Amino acid sequence: MDNDILIRAENITKVYRAGNVEAQALRGVTLDVPAGDFLAIVGPSGSGKTTFLNLVGALDSPSSGTLSVFGEDLAHMSKSKRADLRLRHLGFVFQAYNLVPVLTARENVEFVLELQGMGSERAARAREVLLQLGLAEFADRRPNELSGGQQQRVAVARAVASRPRLILADEPTANLDGENAEILIEMMRTLNRDEGTTFVFSTHDSRVVRHADRVVTLEDGTVTRDERRHGELEAPSA
Amino acid sequence: MNLPITTRYALRSLLRHKRRTFLSVLGIGVGCGICLFLVSFIKGEGDMMMRAAAESGVGHLRVAPEEWLHAQEMNLRLDNWGALLGMIGEMQHVRVATPHARTDALLAMGTRTAGVILTGVDPAAEPAINRLVRAVTEGEYLDAGRRGEVVLGKGIARRLGIGVSDDLMVTASGKGGEMRGAMLRVRGIVASGSQMLDNGLCQVLLADLEEISGYRGAAEISILLDNYERIDETASALRERLGEDAVVVTWQEIVPELAAGVEVDETWTNLVTAVVVSVVFLGIASAQLAAVLERRKEFAVLSAIGMKGHRLVRVMLAEGVILGGAGALASLLLATPFVYAISTHGIDFSNMYGDADMGISDILLDPVIYGDAGWWLLPLAFGLSLGATMLSSLYPAWYALSVTPSEALRVEQ
Repeated sequence: MDNDILIRAENITKVYRAGNVEAQALRGVTLDVPAGDFLAIVGPSGSGKTTFLNLVGALDSPSSGTLSVFGEDLAHMSKSKRADLRLRHLGFVFQAYNLVPVLTARENVEFVLELQGMGSERAARAREVLLQLGLAEFADRRPNELSGGQQQRVAVARAVASRPRLILADEPTANLDGENAEILIEMMRTLNRDEGTTFVFSTHDSRVVRHADRVVTLEDGTVTRDERRHGELEAPSA
Repeated sequence: MNLPITTRYALRSLLRHKRRTFLSVLGIGVGCGICLFLVSFIKGEGDMMMRAAAESGVGHLRVAPEEWLHAQEMNLRLDNWGALLGMIGEMQHVRVATPHARTDALLAMGTRTAGVILTGVDPAAEPAINRLVRAVTEGEYLDAGRRGEVVLGKGIARRLGIGVSDDLMVTASGKGGEMRGAMLRVRGIVASGSQMLDNGLCQVLLADLEEISGYRGAAEISILLDNYERIDETASALRERLGEDAVVVTWQEIVPELAAGVEVDETWTNLVTAVVVSVVFLGIASAQLAAVLERRKEFAVLSAIGMKGHRLVRVMLAEGVILGGAGALASLLLATPFVYAISTHGIDFSNMYGDADMGISDILLDPVIYGDAGWWLLPLAFGLSLGATMLSSLYPAWYALSVTPSEALRVEQ
């Protein structure tokens, strides 16, 4: 494996079945994502963006093709190893924030660290991350006491708290107004730049796309365009 | 309090639907509370039956000749019963030990007769082990220094038409088959409240019985302990000391019909307890499953952030433990006043039984049943409640485990 490649997708397909009805969400996607990328996946609704993120996040399995994350073929991973991969190396940010409603902002961040087995130092780490993301004063508030923008920042804090190498974000700004979307993207960009965290996010938002180093366009389950912002245009997969 | 986040999550998850959780706890409390009350009552009833048996002359334990186990004949006698009685009387936990012997006899007064089982007793010890003879309503109980006297049940006295100080004729079959007779004077009449017992009670001094029957000695030694929980321990100790000629039998072996009654009652209680706990179990399982269905997406998110299956199961079981603990406290809170009331005031079934006879197998049962109360309520309450809630958490936990994160997130987005 090339050490710089975090995600390697080779001709992956995904078919959903409901009774006799089949829906092909991905039709042979081939894509490499090197470490440090700040990659936006764009495309119309139903183009397969979320499906691709779910596969990379080991939340689902491809119907065919090979998908490696951190050099490990997901097809050969047990349920427990997949959970371990998500816990130790991946961070998720969802469109609808998806914070645990009965926990405070700080507890939401600490939860992941506790699952990782971190001891007493987890409280300090959670405080540090919340401070870094400008959320220190909201640490003891529950999600329903926070604005949408604040909740999404807590979700980012939860995702980055364990210092994962890769963060997957599904439409992270879809529910945010312009100002909050800008703040969030700037925050993600800073983490990418300062910590070297790789971001792969799906979006419809042109304000977000503007910040990406690389933009991959999915249409009808196929990569139709793969563009690097410094001018290089990568060949879309066959 | 610095609880782990997982525990806080479990606790607060229960509190997010306070009314549902309250009703669940109340349901467990009522269900388990009913079980506690029932068990208290049945234990009390069992204790009453055993006490009634023990204090109706049967005792907790009996030492009898070895053949008694097979023949149960009245003419069997213990060898060297005096020494045995002395040895038993010195044993730990023995409150009273007294000899008995019996023979079939016919009482006659003029033209009236009554067939009875004549019992020979030691009048000094008998009232301590036989509460029936404490109910002498006319005259007095037997006196060791006064030979040739008899104490009768009221029913026998009425049938023979005799009263205190009257003389009657007693005849019995002797050792060699010959007819033996004697005159007895009525010293006292017992009215126990049970027609059956009052028709059967007929006691004389052991020495008088020896003379009437021709058989020497005691047929058995009845033993009353200071604590019925020592029955097995004392029986074992006795068996070690006795030779091969004598056996130790428990009250359950002496009056198996009463022991069977206690067992039937206990079986019914266990059955009712199982039914109530099952209903509680299904109710809690349903509420827990509803809670899991509502949290499908949340579980999907937890799975996405790396929570493993066993941790998810632990969260569900922790919710079960919290619910079970609260349910146990609720059941104690609800049941304790009732258990206290029946253990101190009892439940009087006199009105329900009316004129029904409270005697069974020469044993006088009490119409008032006192419930049993003690520290055993605590482990039982927590055992029942936690058992039901932990079990009822298993299916929802399994369901939570089977949630596919990508599907749950896609469907609910």
